[in-house]
Amino acid sequence: MMKKISLFLGTLILTVALCSTALAGEPQDRLKTGIDSVIAILSNSALKGPAKRAERQAKLRTVADSFFDWHELSRRAAAEHWAKFSPKQQDDFVVSFSELLQKTYIRKLEKYNNEKVTYLKEQTEGDKAFINTQVSMKDKTIPINYYMIKHEQWMVYDVVVEGVSLVKNYRVQFAKILSKDSPESLIQRIKDKIKFLDEGKNVDDVAS
Amino acid sequence: MHTQFRSLLATLALTLFCSAAALAAGTTTAGPTEPASLAQQPVVTNMLLAYGDVDIWDETGQIIKRPASGEKMTMSDLAAQTADPLEGWNRMWFGFNDKLYFWALKPVAQGYGAVIPERPRLWVHNFFHNLMFPVRFVSLVLQGKPDAAAVETSRFIGNTAFGLGGFADITADSKPYKPIGSTEKDLGLTFGYWGAGNGMYLVWPFLGPSSARDTVGYAGDYFLTPVSYIHPWYWSIATKGYDKINEVSMRIGDYETLKDASVDPYEAVRDAYLRNRFKKVND
Repeated sequence: MMKKISLFLGTLILTVALCSTALAGEPQDRLKTGIDSVIAILSNSALKGPAKRAERQAKLRTVADSFFDWHELSRRAAAEHWAKFSPKQQDDFVVSFSELLQKTYIRKLEKYNNEKVTYLKEQTEGDKAFINTQVSMKDKTIPINYYMIKHEQWMVYDVVVEGVSLVKNYRVQFAKILSKDSPESLIQRIKDKIKFLDEGKNVDDVAS
Repeated sequence: MHTQFRSLLATLALTLFCSAAALAAGTTTAGPTEPASLAQQPVVTNMLLAYGDVDIWDETGQIIKRPASGEKMTMSDLAAQTADPLEGWNRMWFGFNDKLYFWALKPVAQGYGAVIPERPRLWVHNFFHNLMFPVRFVSLVLQGKPDAAAVETSRFIGNTAFGLGGFADITADSKPYKPIGSTEKDLGLTFGYWGAGNGMYLVWPFLGPSSARDTVGYAGDYFLTPVSYIHPWYWSIATKGYDKINEVSMRIGDYETLKDASVDPYEAVRDAYLRNRFKKVND
């Protein structure tokens, strides 16, 4: 009898333990889908090489657009200055800011070299979620955490890399500019930066 | 022999001095046992607080506990608000370091990286990392983490004796039975762990972003770094320079992305440095 119970209990515990890994919540599943499709594009041999760069980057952008809530992200980066933007300026700002982010970080993603992503922990509260992940590189592991929000679907609105929040990092920069200048000139500054990067004369100039 | 003894004494004296100073600071500020997610003193005047959207979690995923006063900042936000009274001066050195990187460090590191494959560069990285053991060990002991210090010691012995003097990181996959937290510590982080604030933000030529606290820590680390004792002094500098080039060769692109993506690179680096250091204090 005792033996039967313990056998039953053992099976139960094992089943629960095995299932819990598969039972990640909705936000994490969604995040994983996004990251997996990015990795699929980056490791797709048909899309490799400089000749395919445009095609590859267009695909990555489509994925990014469907997983990042650019509006929420921009609004939070502008923080309390957001109210000073006119509706048109807000749209303009979201478009140019997300363009700057995609342009620079997709270039960075291109250096992907089979790093493994591990999903560590997921927390959900109402329409918000927080997910801890870890990217294992050759000589170190980098913690990357995601803030997500649910509208129709779960979308990422902030990324924390090694303790540095993307939104908050921009919030300081924008606050400094907006305390002196108008939203219009901030948008212009972002557009100038994009133009600057497009012309390829980017980083070697000191912009302090 | 005599000089070695003297330098040892100097190290000891400095460490004691630093610990005494920081201990004194530690008694006036709150201990590290406080929940990391909660900012302690309400800084009401900051305009970022007027922003209505309250986050549920802080940067590490801890739930932000909100006391009656309605605290909306994380500890990381507080660290990121470290004063920058010497901004003009700091910006000048930021510009200097930026040029140093693009005109000297990066081309040399790229050339070096083109000649030496990644794997040997990883060995060199392991060697120098292993050599920095005294910094980590002393910091962990001063933070009262004997378990972590012991693990660091066994890694050092293992890698030195059986990993070809540290070139192979053979202990990387050996995990301790109990989680011990990060062992990547230095004296600046130790002072932070004791409760010392950053003081103010500083940018040093060659060394990059720092703070008053981390500068004192760096001075202490200098004496705990074996490479500092290479004689004559220019070989010591050259060795450190080589270590730096080797590190840069494995990190090319990181700084470029941050700089490309930001509208004010100086502010972006400052925020990133302060928040990253805060995270490391609590890791």
